[in-house]
Amino acid sequence: MRQRKLLAFCAALTIVLANVASLAQQTLDRTKVPSPGPTPVLHVPAWTKTQLANGATLIVSERHVLPLVSFNITFVGGANQFEPVGRRGVAAMTASMLTEGTKTRTGDQISDALQLLGTTVGAGVGAEDGSIAFLSTAKNFDATLAILSDMMLNSTFPAEALERLRARTLVNLTQAKDQPVVVGAQVFAKVLYGAAHPYGQRATENSIKAVTRDDVVAFQQAYFQPGRAIITVVGDTTPQKAKASVEKALASWSKGGDKPSFDYPKLPELRPAKIYLVDKPGAAQSVVNIGLPGPPRNTPDYFALQVLNTILGGQFQSRLNANIREQKGYSYGVNSGFNYGKGPGAFRAGGSIFTAKTDAALIEFMKELKGIVGEKPITDEEIKTAKESLIQGLPQRFSSVSAISNAITSLVVQGLPDDYYQTYAQKVSAVTKEDLLRVAKRYIDLEHLAIVIVGDRALVEAALKATEIAPITMLDIEGNPVTASQ
Amino acid sequence: MRRRNLSVFAALLIACCVAQTAFAQQLKIPYETYKLPNGLTVIMSVDRTTPTVAVNIWYHVGSKNETPGRTGFAHLFEHVMFTGSGHVPYGLHDKLTEGVGGGNNGSTTNDRTNYYETIPSNYLESALWLEADRMGFLLDTLNIEKLNAQRDVVKNERRQSYDNQPYGRVSEIFAAAMYPKGHPYSWPVIGSMTDLSAASEEDVKAFFRLYYAPNNATMAIVGDFDPAQAKAWVQKYFGDLPKGQPVQRPTVPAAKLEAGKRLVYEDRVQVPRLYLQWPTVGVKNADDAPLSVMGLILSGARTARLTKALVYDSQIASQVAAFQNSAEDVGVFQVIVVPRPEHTLTELEAAVDQVIQKFITEGPTAEELQKAKSGLELNFLRGLESNLGKANQLLDGAVFYNNPGQFSVDYQKTLAVSAADVKRVASTYLGRPRIVLSVVPKGKKNQASKAAESETVTMLMKQGRGGRS
Repeated sequence: MRQRKLLAFCAALTIVLANVASLAQQTLDRTKVPSPGPTPVLHVPAWTKTQLANGATLIVSERHVLPLVSFNITFVGGANQFEPVGRRGVAAMTASMLTEGTKTRTGDQISDALQLLGTTVGAGVGAEDGSIAFLSTAKNFDATLAILSDMMLNSTFPAEALERLRARTLVNLTQAKDQPVVVGAQVFAKVLYGAAHPYGQRATENSIKAVTRDDVVAFQQAYFQPGRAIITVVGDTTPQKAKASVEKALASWSKGGDKPSFDYPKLPELRPAKIYLVDKPGAAQSVVNIGLPGPPRNTPDYFALQVLNTILGGQFQSRLNANIREQKGYSYGVNSGFNYGKGPGAFRAGGSIFTAKTDAALIEFMKELKGIVGEKPITDEEIKTAKESLIQGLPQRFSSVSAISNAITSLVVQGLPDDYYQTYAQKVSAVTKEDLLRVAKRYIDLEHLAIVIVGDRALVEAALKATEIAPITMLDIEGNPVTASQ
Repeated sequence: MRRRNLSVFAALLIACCVAQTAFAQQLKIPYETYKLPNGLTVIMSVDRTTPTVAVNIWYHVGSKNETPGRTGFAHLFEHVMFTGSGHVPYGLHDKLTEGVGGGNNGSTTNDRTNYYETIPSNYLESALWLEADRMGFLLDTLNIEKLNAQRDVVKNERRQSYDNQPYGRVSEIFAAAMYPKGHPYSWPVIGSMTDLSAASEEDVKAFFRLYYAPNNATMAIVGDFDPAQAKAWVQKYFGDLPKGQPVQRPTVPAAKLEAGKRLVYEDRVQVPRLYLQWPTVGVKNADDAPLSVMGLILSGARTARLTKALVYDSQIASQVAAFQNSAEDVGVFQVIVVPRPEHTLTELEAAVDQVIQKFITEGPTAEELQKAKSGLELNFLRGLESNLGKANQLLDGAVFYNNPGQFSVDYQKTLAVSAADVKRVASTYLGRPRIVLSVVPKGKKNQASKAAESETVTMLMKQGRGGRS
């Protein structure tokens, strides 16, 4: 009630304000930071969850603001679980091949039909999950779903389409080698996990060249199975309508498959901190990645790590960016993060650094990492801001039908409880200063950091050596050691 | 951009608009608009779906308002706007936005500069306080140290987004080649390293006084708020900011090439690329809509003409893109082609020309036109899901057309585009002299399209590499 009355009063006030503006303004104290209003109540969207006869999970969440529906089938497990040895890349290629024609439609016909429906169907398989999805108007939902179903279940994988895709994929791989940021990420992964661990592997020229049509057909049959599928429908629909549409469109999708295990091989032995330098002659910047393998998403330390990273490098005013960009001006932006997954995803800090400041920036990175593990104690103010930021940012996750779909689906994929968002604030709030110091020391292991730098060797090597932060090893852009003569 | 992940030019590449008949009547973003006596235009649009609000201010100033020798100024200024103001200490802006679960950023184009906050709805008043303070009191705390710090950051932005990016210098090569020396669109928004170094504190202050006055600004508030309360706050914080001098809009001659140009640029890349660019028209010209539709008919979907011919049928290209890119006063139509190995840029250029010649002769089919327009309804609805997206739509209309509801006019225009319109713009613009740019690996100038006739790009080479600071 108080809020309402106040607003009505303000409305009346506005009318006269224009006339007395100068008078009113004399009393305005601009140094006074306006206090926030009462925190808005968190409305987590509700959803229904049912099991279909073929074993797939169906989730439906209603949102009738706009005539839009988001449809998504997510598959638990990805390239790391389903790609055969020596065939890295077959998962992504199979997903791309779903647009190339079915028993009753050519690739061109699929494309034309979707254009007339005003939408596209996107399919992709990542490291640990995959999806096939679209966003459509409510009135075009059933027609688009019918095409998705046809693509997923009846694709014919024409041989000549595979050759075309292979050639284009190889061009993309060549272009990626010119991207210092991509090279940095790939070499970083290889250094951390080694070639024997799936986290250190990726599609290469050789693996792409090795993929056969049989590999693609086999992958499609093994992978797109209802037993590991979560179907999420969000938007202008109802659970009954959505279920009827799905059961009709996917009637021929019969039982099969299950959720894979995520047993990864043992990590390589941790090695003493080292700088791995990849030469990129003429580079205007050095791409810096610093880190080591970290915990999986289901770690009990998750909330403490989220608060910790918000303080260290998750935001603009986090310690790393405030120092290296804003105070020192060495970069357009640096950050840090934990790459959570089912396995030991990396902790990584880094950014693109002006070549001439590569050594100076590395010194600052190390200073901040040492700081967060104890040398520069975390303040109460930092903790308060980080927690508020995380908690109050929650409504953003429900700001569109696609965002809601992701928010709900990720709970199921990661095996998190249904009341995760309702209890989120409580769990973030419960993190203590002691927790932060403990997880910082545990996961930001300064003795074993890998420091991967892609930059102009002639301009940065001597300066990096002079910092005495760690010994330097030269790697090529594939992450292999360079012999001394080079 | 103040932060990375979007290019300075992102706002220029506003998605092409296409349409579907039945929907056109419901095309509405409810809004109200009014003007303060000091000239500040305010637009409000309530949407209570999510407890968040976007505050977005567009200043009608961009790189085209700069003078040669001081390029990059509008964008450098964008960075300075985040360094604190008279009553707001450095850092508080971030604390009251990302520190409470929201966000902030700014962006600069040739035509305008914008600043926004996305916040939980209970932080609207502080966001207005922040924006009013830097509009009214930025210079109170501006000094050379702050300027220098942001100058370094912007130089790093240039290194990251242009110099250390494969093909990253194409946009500035085109700007310099497309327009005569001194033309307001002839320099890149990011500016040159030399000019960035040359900007003085006094330059910055004069720029602020002229362009950052309320009469050159338009503010949108979109999301979960009470309009009466918001109006009171707007009055409280912006009401007494003084009106500035009237702003002179630069005179911008239309883009026109007397003769075609063939250029070759050596970059640190392994795969060459072919770029074709024709001068067209700006957003206010009636031909902008059919040119945008033409882009969708030529590339994008698998059955679009260039994509089908080059990527799927002859398979000489790995990727093709074709699009109208229009600013407030000028525009260009651009085609980009990435070859497959064993195929030359000369071969690609001939293949593109063959498709285009055929298209000029026959124009689009009814189905091509229908397909190109069919995505509009969904695109529009998606735009309505975001407070920030809606704010930008309303502001674009208010700033460039003096009509926040312009998006629905544009929608209708696109809907009305006929096959004859597309055929006409194809023959009018794609028949004119153009710039052909080949980007080739270092030392491989012979890979350029018609290498013997191509001129090496030298004019910009001197400032590259990020070597100066």
